[in-house]
Amino acid sequence: MQIAQSWRLPVEGRPSRERRTMTGIGLLLTAAVLSSYTQLPAEASSWWSLALNPIQRPEMYIIGAQPLCSQLTGLSPGQRKLCQLYQDHMVYIGEGAKTGIKECQHQFKQRRWNCSTVDNTSVFGRVMQIGSRETAFTYAVSAAGVVNAISRACREGELSTCGCSRTPRPKDLPRDWLWGGCGDNVEYGYRFAKEFVDAREREKNYPRGSEEQARTLMNLQNNEAGRRAVYKLADVACKCHGVSGSCSLKTCWLQLADFRKVGEHLKEKYDSAAAMRLNRKNKLELVNSRFNTPTEEDLVYIDQSPDYCLRNETTGSLGTTGRLCNKTSEGMDGCELMCCGRGYDFKTVQVERCHCKFHWCCFVKCKKCTEIVDQYVCK
Amino acid sequence: MAGAIIENMSTMKLCIVGGILFVFQIVAFLVGGLIAPDPTSVLHSTATKCIDVQKNHHKTKWFMPWGPNQCEKISSFDEALKRQIEANDIVFAVHIPFISKEMSPWFQFMLSIMQLDIAFKSNNFIQDNATVTLDVTMAYRNDLNGKWIELAHSLEQRKLKCKLPTPKTQVTEGQYYECDLIPLMELGSVAHKYYLVNIRLPVNERKKINIGIGEIKDLKLTTIFQNGGFTKVWFAMKTFLTPSILIIMVWYWRRITMMTRSPILLEKIIFALGISMTFINIPVEWFSIGFNWTWMLLFGDIRQGIFYAMLLSFWIVFCGEHMMDQSERNHFSRYWKQVGPIAFGSCCLFIFDMCERGVQLKNPFYSIWATDVGTELAMAFIIVAGICACLYFGFLCFMVFQVFRNISGKRSKLPAMSKTRRLHYEGLIFRFKFFMLITLACAALSVIFFITSQVNEGPWTWDETTVQVNSAFFTGIYGMWNLYVFALMFLYAPSHKNYGDDQSNGDLRVNSAEELQLTTTITHADGPTEVFRLAGKEAQE
Repeated sequence: MQIAQSWRLPVEGRPSRERRTMTGIGLLLTAAVLSSYTQLPAEASSWWSLALNPIQRPEMYIIGAQPLCSQLTGLSPGQRKLCQLYQDHMVYIGEGAKTGIKECQHQFKQRRWNCSTVDNTSVFGRVMQIGSRETAFTYAVSAAGVVNAISRACREGELSTCGCSRTPRPKDLPRDWLWGGCGDNVEYGYRFAKEFVDAREREKNYPRGSEEQARTLMNLQNNEAGRRAVYKLADVACKCHGVSGSCSLKTCWLQLADFRKVGEHLKEKYDSAAAMRLNRKNKLELVNSRFNTPTEEDLVYIDQSPDYCLRNETTGSLGTTGRLCNKTSEGMDGCELMCCGRGYDFKTVQVERCHCKFHWCCFVKCKKCTEIVDQYVCK
Repeated sequence: MAGAIIENMSTMKLCIVGGILFVFQIVAFLVGGLIAPDPTSVLHSTATKCIDVQKNHHKTKWFMPWGPNQCEKISSFDEALKRQIEANDIVFAVHIPFISKEMSPWFQFMLSIMQLDIAFKSNNFIQDNATVTLDVTMAYRNDLNGKWIELAHSLEQRKLKCKLPTPKTQVTEGQYYECDLIPLMELGSVAHKYYLVNIRLPVNERKKINIGIGEIKDLKLTTIFQNGGFTKVWFAMKTFLTPSILIIMVWYWRRITMMTRSPILLEKIIFALGISMTFINIPVEWFSIGFNWTWMLLFGDIRQGIFYAMLLSFWIVFCGEHMMDQSERNHFSRYWKQVGPIAFGSCCLFIFDMCERGVQLKNPFYSIWATDVGTELAMAFIIVAGICACLYFGFLCFMVFQVFRNISGKRSKLPAMSKTRRLHYEGLIFRFKFFMLITLACAALSVIFFITSQVNEGPWTWDETTVQVNSAFFTGIYGMWNLYVFALMFLYAPSHKNYGDDQSNGDLRVNSAEELQLTTTITHADGPTEVFRLAGKEAQE
């Protein structure tokens, strides 16, 4: 007999087994789809591009109609199918990807690689083809963004397939609603994100022991770590409302953490990410076996990070030329490290708005004054 | 109260009665755990940010987040900054429930909690002791195309209790504060289908209203209501329990009136306990489905309060009447020392409840915790009630201790007593021990389930079957106290069987009078006992 609290079940229960079987099914199912699928172009497009291209609200389309999904770039065949089934989810996947990218850029603001987006299809450019720590973080944070966005949309009744849907469902729903309310469906976000984000990895069928196989395993592990981060950091909020406001009657719900916290958590995981390689059993194993085996919440990488100092077309590195740096800092954002010893230029900027008066939202009353701020830019 | 049914029942019959009650207890738990859904549900909504474009034209305009007459929206306040929209022109609109859903009277009550997403900005941060002033209106309608009718309008103040997750020196711009939940409103009945909440955060620099509250990014509303399914199961349970307790009450009172003597205090207080139980049981809530009775929540509180006060008084009287010393009790005024704290504590809680829920009948947004004076007052009431509870339990424990001491004293003397007296004392001891046993069991079960429900955060899954622990707790405990009262009235009703050959079941006064007589006459016979008794008396005093 297994007793478990249902809120934590999908994550702390037995997802590892579940994932393995799902991967198996995914591989079988997509083998047929892939037989006609040609080799990916050198700069693979990604679903991350949903973040950059605004998606029109699904109300614009009739359910089941094709246009939305065929217009979207960057979806793999499996993801396109999911898109057709769950059109209304796409807006939130885009939103989630956007949150993920924004958080990535915030966390890496002061690093040589600053998570900058390059174009509309591959989003981060060629750097993502290297299975580096940075790639690991990007996969994790964007997967986390999707869980976050889908969960939020789900609990606010924006999605047709979960909780309290916006669109009327079969006749039983109003009765369900009256009987037991909406039900908190945060785990739905986790499950859907797993289906959607992992679809791309699951439908590939690389030969055993190949580089690509290792990369697929790495991506799956990092996606899972990202999704779990959202769940792990969500905490339970409760409200007492019994007799005289006592706790004889108490209602609790799962509250998603501010995404900044998820970003920070994943950044810590980035710092402690484990270097892995493919072993003979076709599994990832530690390069240095002295370290602890990574859990499902940890990030892993298979390649060393490229040199982010100089612009390099092959690796996709943009270089740090033109980046702002901090003259006094000794950390990564300091001019010495940031500019990789190439030196820096001095720039003065005049700031005109100052002594602003703020209201809680928006109205800003500022005085006009000039102030000179020194800025240092890498050569 | 000599010769209750429980004493004259054979052990087998007692076991059968116990078994039946136990089965009912299990059923009560299962009804909650398997049939009923979770007691409450939660709706999460992020408020839509509307712009009050034509503020001066229509004074009472409602802002709808969606639908045909929806307001002009902005997606974020960056947009407001660009368009030079002022804080005073922004209205947060929330529709309860979501599109295509309806609220229902089965939901019984509805309460909303507000959460503000506030970002830290080094030049616009939350000042110490910041309060947020809300201009909040609520409206209802029963027809999707109908007009909104105002339900309540109020200017409310709430304290902002926020802290930054990281120390201020390391904080980056735009990091969100961690804020406490802010209770917004409480409705005692959900009589309408659709509700609309419009919240403004008016800014007035001269009066320092809504200044220094940080940069608000979003306003979220969490609405809690009772589930319709739980209400139905609850009502069904009440409807079933009311006649059961009523019938046993009538039977019990008939037994007492059939006797020649007038009822003694203990019998009266058991009957009173039955009345207060029936008072809780009577399913007047059925009317809340048809009528908009907002006072139902308060009424429920009062009913529960009366029952608890009655139960606590009953325990004291029961112990007192089984004291087995020579003092004459059998009058309620003899217990003023112990019952006083109960009455006083209940009064405190009643006043507190009236201040909170009573005022909420008029203004659903009112909260006694919102102001400093109110918080102090509320705390004062609760602390006084707490002291009363401690006093009471002190008295109760002392009385139970006294009874047990007397019992052990009596035990040693039993063989030397005359048959009548021995039977009388044995009966008293058995009654008291049995009572202590079931009371302790019930109290322990209540406490265990209470703690479980506090720690528990969701339903339990047991091999594919979901058990709603919280519902099981409510129905189980409710059923348990009903069974407790039922069992008391049944087992402690006067028996028709006689004690022995020479003694009819007279009342306690006769008994104690006789006992006094007996003690004076028998003392010569058993000297050591007399010494013991004196020692006991001294110790008591």
